[in-house]
Amino acid sequence: MTTQPAAVVRSTRRRPAPTLLIGAALVLLVVLAALISFVWTPYDPVQAAPADRLQGSSAAHLMGTDRYGRDVFSGILYGARITLLVGLVAVGIALLIGTPLGILAGMRGGAVEEVSMRAADILLAFPALLVAIMFGAVFGASTTTAMLAIGIGSIPGFARVARSGTLQVMSTEYVLAAKASSQGAFRIARRHVLPNIAGMVVVQCSVSFAIAVLAEAALSFLGLGTPPPVPSWGRMLQESQQFLGTYPMLAVWPGLAIAVAVLGFNLVGDGLRDKFDPKLNGGR
Amino acid sequence: MRSNKKFGLAAAVLAGALSLTACNAGAGSSASPEAQQDSVTVALTGEPVNLDFTTTAGAAIPQALMSNVYEGLVEIDQEGKIQPLLAESWELSDDRKTYTFKLREGAKFSNGEPFTAEDVKFSIERVQSDEWVSSLKSKMDVVDAVNVLSDTEVEVVLKQPSNAWLFDMGTLVGAMFDPSGVDDLANTAIGTGPYTIEAWNRGQSIELAARDDYWGEKPGVETATLRYFADAVATTNALQSGDVDVVYNMQAPELLSSFESNDKFQVLEGTSNGEIVLSMNNKEAPFDDVRVRQAVMHAIDRQAVVDTAWNGYGTVVGGPVPPTDPYFEDLNDVYPYDPAKAKELLKEAGAENLDITFTVPTRPYATAVSEIVVSQLAEVGINAKIESAEFPAVWLDQVFTKHDYQMSVVLAVESRDVLAMFNNPDYYLGYDNSKIKDAAAKADASDEAGYAAGMKDVVRTIVDDAAADVLFIFPNIVVADAKVTGIPANSVTEALDLTNIGWK
Repeated sequence: MTTQPAAVVRSTRRRPAPTLLIGAALVLLVVLAALISFVWTPYDPVQAAPADRLQGSSAAHLMGTDRYGRDVFSGILYGARITLLVGLVAVGIALLIGTPLGILAGMRGGAVEEVSMRAADILLAFPALLVAIMFGAVFGASTTTAMLAIGIGSIPGFARVARSGTLQVMSTEYVLAAKASSQGAFRIARRHVLPNIAGMVVVQCSVSFAIAVLAEAALSFLGLGTPPPVPSWGRMLQESQQFLGTYPMLAVWPGLAIAVAVLGFNLVGDGLRDKFDPKLNGGR
Repeated sequence: MRSNKKFGLAAAVLAGALSLTACNAGAGSSASPEAQQDSVTVALTGEPVNLDFTTTAGAAIPQALMSNVYEGLVEIDQEGKIQPLLAESWELSDDRKTYTFKLREGAKFSNGEPFTAEDVKFSIERVQSDEWVSSLKSKMDVVDAVNVLSDTEVEVVLKQPSNAWLFDMGTLVGAMFDPSGVDDLANTAIGTGPYTIEAWNRGQSIELAARDDYWGEKPGVETATLRYFADAVATTNALQSGDVDVVYNMQAPELLSSFESNDKFQVLEGTSNGEIVLSMNNKEAPFDDVRVRQAVMHAIDRQAVVDTAWNGYGTVVGGPVPPTDPYFEDLNDVYPYDPAKAKELLKEAGAENLDITFTVPTRPYATAVSEIVVSQLAEVGINAKIESAEFPAVWLDQVFTKHDYQMSVVLAVESRDVLAMFNNPDYYLGYDNSKIKDAAAKADASDEAGYAAGMKDVVRTIVDDAAADVLFIFPNIVVADAKVTGIPANSVTEALDLTNIGWK
């Protein structure tokens, strides 16, 4: 990434901020849960066992069982997979479409900028969740439509961040120098703009990831996300709704999992922002 | 002078406003303990669109009006038996085609008109006319003629003998109307029942007031209010806070445990006419093969479905007939839970490792049932993929109308609906009725004993063919203040009969 050291904004902090560490630890926890679920879960997360229904925490069932006798811990592990998958794909879509669009707008200016940024504004006017609900209603509820919808809803964020970063970079001396030496636009974008806005974009990724996780949970809660019986944290939360008075822990576990993931990605985002933001570091 | 007139008008308006407030204050004070004995508030979900069940479908209208505002010649009691109501007695001719009803004297409509044999003729013929547009009107097709013999005697001649007809006369098609009271059925309900509609606050409640000139015994309370809520959680919250006294047909059994352990409340579990039907499209592969359908029947542990999906509330009967029907029979032994047998049947049918789509309507019972069903089907090698369909619009269109589905699950609520479901090959279940068509017609035409026996055979055939898997009979759950008495726990017809509700 730092092929051109002179052009990269330096960080004056040596030690990572505590928020970054805590965030990274929480994210790692979620990633580990997802990875473990590929090789091992205590029980089959979709296998009902009516005889063992609604049990509390025990050695056999770490987080108890739900109304169908399914092991909640297995469901949480497996659910991490869905959460990460949705987050990755959604952020990936937004990153791959939004960032180039933003850079293009920032470098070209004029009509290109106007059109693409107004389009982003229009998209921004619809909350990502609303777009997702619309998608779910039209194409049917599934993990894929949820990922697509959340991804599309996150594009404007990336486009704006990339554009504002690009505008800053474009007014620096080294870009002027590059222009003067008649380097092509594509080369400038790749060698000067992209490395310099990378930090901002990474922060945007992390924050968008947190939003995507929350959106997926909300969609599944509404029955527009991952269809049953595949465990998803949002739906586990929704299914435990009626047991709030009698078995509150059923809601606590998926709620906690969602909180950990969202907090983790948000903290990482905050930590990275502190690290990259030149103003906060007293740099340039 | 002019200004005086104005003043007079203002005064009148003011006086009117004051008297309105006074009324409201009066109604509000009914919450005091003594006054409470005179009124009861019942929480329901799903408000009527209007008050006219002759043109508008939906269970909410007859639920509020039948037995309370409208009455029929007969009524269906809590055990599903036919009892006299506006008819004191009746005789059936030897050819079982002519019913002669002797009507009760002194019954009056709430508009003051006396109830006579002419009203019976008017009401029955009105069902047959174009005034009724409900699909239920076909239940009156069997009537050939209605003859008025005297003011209190009326004769109904049927085209062919029918056992189902007299039962239907106890449901909404048998409601008795007055010729002068049908002009504005959507907003005004005039019947012979013990209550009249006092007020209808749209979006909130219907208030029923007891009539002074009712022909029978006065109901237990002066005012009965039906309050409509968005969902089950809201109804139980209202009960807990004392805003309502009874929650009828509660749809969230998981919420019950806190009421069961509290002496201030009572929880009643009655039966209903609702069957949770796991439907398999009999006309499409793979469920056009009877062995595959039978495999599903063996693969599903119905008691486990009730226990997990509906907290143990509901009756497992193994067939499409609720216990309150005269031809009820416990058929649990036909398809015991036997995954090994199921696998064997699938192997025979060459349908191992089957992939199917399970279209699940967005109703609480359906989503709850679907997950356990999918898990149990997986154990015998049927991989069911859940596809949720918005209810009612999408589900009705895709499954019910276009028959574009493999497996689905829905609550069938109509009373005595076995033949409606299975004696019609164009119904969404697609069951080939050639085996039961004649037997069903014969049963309906024979005497009562022959009817029950004949229908039992019909039901047996349907179950042997595994036409659909009836998972359980939906419970009618009632949660109420412990001091409320006379709640009709069994929901046998559409009606919620408020007449016996009172306080200890």
